[in-house]
Amino acid sequence: MIEALLDRARRRADGGADALWRRVERTTVAFEWGRLKAAGAAEEAGVNLRVRHRGRVGVAGSTAADATPDEVVARALASAELGEEVDLRFPGPAPLPAIAVCSDRAADASLDALIALGRGLLARLEPLERHGCRVNVTVERETAETRVANTAGAAAAYRSTSVGVSAEAWRIAGDDVLVIGDAWDGTDLPDANVLAGLAASLEQRLRPALRVVAPPEGALPVVFTPAGLAALLLPVTQALSGKAVLQGISPLAGRVGEQAFAAAFSLADDPLCAGRSASRPVDDECTPSRPLALVERGVVRAFIYDLETAARARTESTGHGQRGIFGKPVPGYTNLILGAPPGSGGAPAPAPALGGGLLGQVTDGLLVDELIGVGQGNVIGGTFSHPVALAYRVERGEVTGRVKDAAVAGDAYELWRRIGGFGSDGRWTGSRYAPSVLVDGVAVARR
Amino acid sequence: MIDRLTAALKHARADYVEIRLERTWSAAVTYRGRRLEAATASEDQGGFVRALTRGGGWGTVSFTSLERLEAMVARAGELSRAVRLDPPIRLADVPPQRAEALLDLDGDVRGVPLAEKKRLLEAYNGEMLAVSDRIVDTLATYRDEVSEYWYVNSEGTVLHELRPEVTLSGTAVARRDGTIEKGLESLGLRRGWRSVQDRAAGFREAAARAVRLLDAPRVVGGTYPVILDPELAGVFIHEAFGHLSEADFVYENPQAREMMTLGRRFGTPALTVGDNGAAPGLRGTLPYDDEGTPTQDTILIKDGILVGRLHSRETAAAMGERPTGNARAVSFRHPPIVRMTNTYIANGQGTFDDLIRDVKLGVYACGAFGGQTMLENFSFTAAYGYMIRDGGVAELVKDVVLAGNLFQTLARIDRIAGDFRWNQMGGGCGKGGQYPLPVTEGAPHVRIEEALIGGDVAP
Repeated sequence: MIEALLDRARRRADGGADALWRRVERTTVAFEWGRLKAAGAAEEAGVNLRVRHRGRVGVAGSTAADATPDEVVARALASAELGEEVDLRFPGPAPLPAIAVCSDRAADASLDALIALGRGLLARLEPLERHGCRVNVTVERETAETRVANTAGAAAAYRSTSVGVSAEAWRIAGDDVLVIGDAWDGTDLPDANVLAGLAASLEQRLRPALRVVAPPEGALPVVFTPAGLAALLLPVTQALSGKAVLQGISPLAGRVGEQAFAAAFSLADDPLCAGRSASRPVDDECTPSRPLALVERGVVRAFIYDLETAARARTESTGHGQRGIFGKPVPGYTNLILGAPPGSGGAPAPAPALGGGLLGQVTDGLLVDELIGVGQGNVIGGTFSHPVALAYRVERGEVTGRVKDAAVAGDAYELWRRIGGFGSDGRWTGSRYAPSVLVDGVAVARR
Repeated sequence: MIDRLTAALKHARADYVEIRLERTWSAAVTYRGRRLEAATASEDQGGFVRALTRGGGWGTVSFTSLERLEAMVARAGELSRAVRLDPPIRLADVPPQRAEALLDLDGDVRGVPLAEKKRLLEAYNGEMLAVSDRIVDTLATYRDEVSEYWYVNSEGTVLHELRPEVTLSGTAVARRDGTIEKGLESLGLRRGWRSVQDRAAGFREAAARAVRLLDAPRVVGGTYPVILDPELAGVFIHEAFGHLSEADFVYENPQAREMMTLGRRFGTPALTVGDNGAAPGLRGTLPYDDEGTPTQDTILIKDGILVGRLHSRETAAAMGERPTGNARAVSFRHPPIVRMTNTYIANGQGTFDDLIRDVKLGVYACGAFGGQTMLENFSFTAAYGYMIRDGGVAELVKDVVLAGNLFQTLARIDRIAGDFRWNQMGGGCGKGGQYPLPVTEGAPHVRIEEALIGGDVAP
């Protein structure tokens, strides 16, 4: 399909074309409230074509198996006719890094094996039921075939697998609703240690949550767990997108080489992390993958670009083009790594202590695991104010109970300038690797 | 097509089978600043099969390769048999429905050239940019679709529908030095091309508001009497209460069932809340849900008392209640789950002025940038707000974040005005990885006697 498309496009679009074809098969088993409830299969195949004609760029996508190459090319050309001029150059052939993103074991796992995996996790979560919890578990396995190619002669094809396991414990007591969840994902099936780690993670956060205590108030030290620091990191990652720079809304624009954060703060994007679902040898626009330092020791180093934003910004793509079947490519992160890269400090324990050893520095403050409303409002500006979804009070270095009815607020850029320390509990949360972070002087309000 | 689907039902060797097929034509135009970011036309098609066997759980298959329909149906049956379940899943009875429901396309968007859609959005985007040189960026989007929809199940239901949708949205970004503010305009209708004409005023107002917000102070955090405008009140009732009334949250969880016991008092006698999938012309409106159940107006809270909830056939059977036509799927890629349609706070009495007359110091929170609930806790970011001083609307304020506990907040709604309106907005609702589901919210102005306003959370 993709060759036929590019062949037609080459003849009709004077500035070349590129295309992505992807076929995905997903198998999901869902345990609701402790019972296996459903098994699902999904398969989807589609193609996305981009053409450049008379300097203008257009795209078209289709999942219709009966769509002819001529139809798709015609739609892309119609889209290009309306488009603005972009000096978009398709990259030529280049060697790709060797990175294994496919596990045959995961691809070949039977439905029964996936069900057994879910049951194994459920069994480990049984102790939670003694605390009045009900548990949901989901296991998902995806296999994908991806082909990308362009009229400049670049072409790549790879198979990938992705396995996700998630668990969620619910406890409702009167009008108090407590939900604690965790998830793991990787290219291979999880081993017993992963399941034990998930169960330990849920239990570890459930026990101190059973007791509700009054929240503190004022400008206080707050430890954000690897999951809880999303609100702090989101403005930074948005600001480090080349797209935000082009739009003139990135507070970090024009600050490459400048010390914008504390020296302890380093952030990188690594599409070549072994075993990670977001890894890939090539991006969705034929640009070979490579790790990219975004911030090094507090100094802004780079922004992420895809081909089009790079062309507009008169720079090179960093290999961050992501595209779906519909719409055009956009810059997107792969594996974001905060602080020291995974594996550099030896293998972590399956479930390191809450707060990663930072709580000892807190006399009175909060441990924040989840906030409500992250991503709402004027994110890129950096200021945030979120009620807590799951947070604990810390007194004299110890977690004393769960706090409700509290909100934390601040300016993310400013908080990253005064980091009190990183924990020793670095872990993956989705495609982000981070340890806990201690920040002093975070505004905590209660109601 | 119907004959082919009906014949395929037999391949599942299951007690219950349903097949849903969709073919969607859509167009999208996006402007960013003065630049056209994209103008595309797409065609998406695929199907979804769900099967249930005796003693088994749900087997589901979604696919884009329609030529293998029979194999997909057989696969759904196999998957169902692989899930052994006790007690089994039961479905509440719904009489077989047969209908050809071709909704009014109101100017079929498929007949309008992409270039014309581009020109329309370019004009609206231009209106925002022309408001002030402080407007440094805009994002304007136009999206339309017409979906041809087929649904059959093994109980004899056969549906064929044509579902139109059109959405327009504009974000204007105003900047002065380090201060960045946004103004939002959004419109979403289950209609067509004619309904998106003559909409420039809303885009101009969004941009003008972004500029005005540059000079507005941040609201001082604290507890205040808060008046929600109909838009924010609608978002509030959808997010904070609506999701709890979805029966899949309670039906297998005794603790949740207790929390949501019918007859429990949730608010003052002034408060009535419902969900109406049959309300004419709204974005959440459809004649049938994605299980072939006719939609209806379901009262959830009447005079402050919990009286109903939203059901699929499965949750209704499990709770011994009646299906309400709320099993919806965002597309053929997903199973139907319990969702809202058009959710509302029913009209009260009096005017907005009656609500603020006796408020010495309060906040009038307007519009919504977003909202999130974690069950009993919620957080909403208003698009903008005004202080209320001595019974009158005073200065514009920004960064108005309303946070609180659902039960406390509902109980503190003490006045509801008589100025109900539906919010015809774009966007959509997300749940269980299914986004954006077209929904509408409606409400009059609503007063909460005391609520926490975040924003400038002073340490």
